[in-house]
Amino acid sequence: MPIPTAQDPLTASPPLRLTPAGRLRRLAAAAVVLALLLAGTLWGDDDEFPFGPFRMYSTRADPNAAVVSTRTVGLTATGEEIRLSGGEVGLRRAEFEGQLPRVSDDPGLLGLLADAYADAHPGAPELVAVQVVQRRFELVDGRQTGAFVDRVLVEYVLTEEGA
Amino acid sequence: MSTVDAPPAGASTGTGRVTGGWWFRPVPLARIAVFRVIAYLFIPVDVFLTTAWVRAHADVPPEWYQPLLVGRLLHLPTPTHTVVTVVQWMLVLAALAAATGRAPRLLGTAVFLLYGEWMVIAMSYGKVDHDRIAFLVALAVLPTIGRARFRDRRSSEAAGWAMAAVLVTVMLTYFLAAWAKVRFGGWDWPTGSTLTRAVLRRGTGLSEWTLELPWLLTAAQWAMLVLEFLAPLMLLVRSDRARIGLVLFLLGFHVMVFAGVTIIFLPHCVAILSILPWERLTAGRRPEDAALGGSMSSGPGPARG
Repeated sequence: MPIPTAQDPLTASPPLRLTPAGRLRRLAAAAVVLALLLAGTLWGDDDEFPFGPFRMYSTRADPNAAVVSTRTVGLTATGEEIRLSGGEVGLRRAEFEGQLPRVSDDPGLLGLLADAYADAHPGAPELVAVQVVQRRFELVDGRQTGAFVDRVLVEYVLTEEGA
Repeated sequence: MSTVDAPPAGASTGTGRVTGGWWFRPVPLARIAVFRVIAYLFIPVDVFLTTAWVRAHADVPPEWYQPLLVGRLLHLPTPTHTVVTVVQWMLVLAALAAATGRAPRLLGTAVFLLYGEWMVIAMSYGKVDHDRIAFLVALAVLPTIGRARFRDRRSSEAAGWAMAAVLVTVMLTYFLAAWAKVRFGGWDWPTGSTLTRAVLRRGTGLSEWTLELPWLLTAAQWAMLVLEFLAPLMLLVRSDRARIGLVLFLLGFHVMVFAGVTIIFLPHCVAILSILPWERLTAGRRPEDAALGGSMSSGPGPARG
């Protein structure tokens, strides 16, 4: 039975201590997590979440290169654009941008979105195609010139049934 | 469990600090009791309100699921509509139960595991967010403390370790972010137009004027990089006043970013709240406390030598 220490003048009762084993376990756990975080920052990438690098806004943008913004849209028969990359089919713009290489390889993925959109919006006009469009804003010395260019990166034409 | 009421031999004032003493500076259990309620009640807010896009993944065609490493290692299920809905409700119910303070180890562990799965569902669609690690660590360490009541006047080393772990992770979120900027952007990251790009893509009425002043955004980039590298200094906070000041500074930064580009690290902000001396609200002030004023050390344990 250990002997209790004298009461600390600032507290009603002495702090609850940890056993040496409890301390050791906690220090070991902290060391493992720290090592993983450090390794993730040094060599890892987003795939290693939650230990990947904290790369929010970490890439350097060239002050004279264009700023690129991507959107995914569905096209109706009348040529109207319906935005799909603002959460309309459950995916965010950044998620579309993250999977852009995959979508380029397999544009059929865009077709699945048209189906998901039709399921979620039964009254909406029918889509005839889905496009990934990239808008480039010109930048000179870090200042926007006001000019922009749109370019279609990937297009998937939906098979028309009775159209 | 590993918490004992009496100090083990040699672990009292002086010698106990030899091994990792900084990690075990006692923290009042009342602080844990308050922070735990905040952390667990934040989860339903997070699920239904502030990051409702995670729930939206229920309706995404499963072909779009791109599992993270952890999802592949643990063979986690593909988030079909059913999987997402079940995890969502189990998580919310577990969090509400844990917020009552009952069965803190069991319910806390359940919340941590379910929230971890929720994060896999969130981050496996092509975009990983970086605002969660401190909150995840908070959820991981809270169950290790055990019982903590609002009016508990005792402090505990187990609570001290848990709060130290959250503080270190909050710090690392900034420090390692600076490191990542140098790794991916290079040492000339601050002279780039990263903020211009951010404002162009997601600017608000409160930030678009900065596009006319590229030097201002460059200066802000320098300030961000320098301050992030200085983040380890926040580990020195000890007094209640310093804690409150630090929290206001950090939350101020995140509110400013939100005003500018509508991005807020909300779970990270909740983790930041663990730094505050919440025990002041609940434990009631004793005469000694009032006489000693706000700058006293918050840990009632022995003062640092």
